[in-house]
Amino acid sequence: MSEKHSIVEIWVYLSGSPLFALFITLAAYQIGLSIYKASHQNPLANPVAIAILIVASTIQFIEMPYSTYFEGAQFIHFLLGSATVSLAIPIYRGLSSLKGRSLPLIASLCTGGLVSIISAVGIATMLGADVSITGAMYPKSVTAPIAMGIAERIGVSPTLTAIFAVSTGILGAILAPFVLNALGMKAWWQRGFAIGIGAHGIGTSRAFSIHPEAGTYASLAMGMNGVVSAIAIPVIYHLFNR
Amino acid sequence: MIFGLVQILLFQSLGELVSKFLLPTLPGPVIGLVLLVLWLVLRKGINSDLAMVGDGFSQYLGLLFVPAAVGVVLFLPQLKANALAIISALIGSVILTIGSSALVARLLSKKESHE
Repeated sequence: MSEKHSIVEIWVYLSGSPLFALFITLAAYQIGLSIYKASHQNPLANPVAIAILIVASTIQFIEMPYSTYFEGAQFIHFLLGSATVSLAIPIYRGLSSLKGRSLPLIASLCTGGLVSIISAVGIATMLGADVSITGAMYPKSVTAPIAMGIAERIGVSPTLTAIFAVSTGILGAILAPFVLNALGMKAWWQRGFAIGIGAHGIGTSRAFSIHPEAGTYASLAMGMNGVVSAIAIPVIYHLFNR
Repeated sequence: MIFGLVQILLFQSLGELVSKFLLPTLPGPVIGLVLLVLWLVLRKGINSDLAMVGDGFSQYLGLLFVPAAVGVVLFLPQLKANALAIISALIGSVILTIGSSALVARLLSKKESHE
């Protein structure tokens, strides 16, 4: 009985149970969080992006099919729905900040939501991207759990949508200060709200680390954008894709 | 904490039911979210169990979409073939989105900003 043989047996046993997928997912996310903290919360070192990179390379390296990985990791994936419902809590907390500013905020939300869709789908189409790619661009400014729900409803890939949403959040968190300074934006609530519309959760946590008022408005914008987009995007999508 | 989870799962189930029978275009969890906001507005407050579960979810929200996003391994050739279009669209769109929403918010609240 060789030692190699028994390792293979253990491996076969472990990869057949959800344990392995759960372990690498959580471990990769923990590594991502540690790198993020060590980099003083630099948006480039986004823990989700790092975790995706580690898990994707690992399953490629050990030649584990994605379907096998997902079978185990689906227990984490399932919680997305519950997490979406729990977004009600930050929205409820932000509702009191809406008072007296509801007109500029709602107008800003509708403009930002539309500009996000038209510019992303427009640029991608002009540069000749596949239909499956442009379709997944529609909900990319929406917080990923809701964006994936929308993607399922309109029949585009939730995976591509999640990738685009995470990339948008990272890009938004990096670029927002430059854009807002170039426009001479001074009020924290306006800056925060714009970040929440353009860069959802990742932008929101960046906004909170800069100024609490910006963070509150960013999370309100993220929540409102999620709900409004869930209603509007299927309508807009079918309008453009008859 | 368990009571918080019970409330979240209850509203999620209500949302799924409404989605299945009344509003099939809306994802169930989003309906659950709206119902929960309405419930909190009616009750005028969040109980501590619910706050605890909600804060836990929002703190580690990113972890939950890792399994689906790892599916990127299935799309690598397609992403490579469209790399330029994707990167330009994402960067262009995020700048335009943040810029336009900021400008509209400032434009419509001119009075307040002069205070």
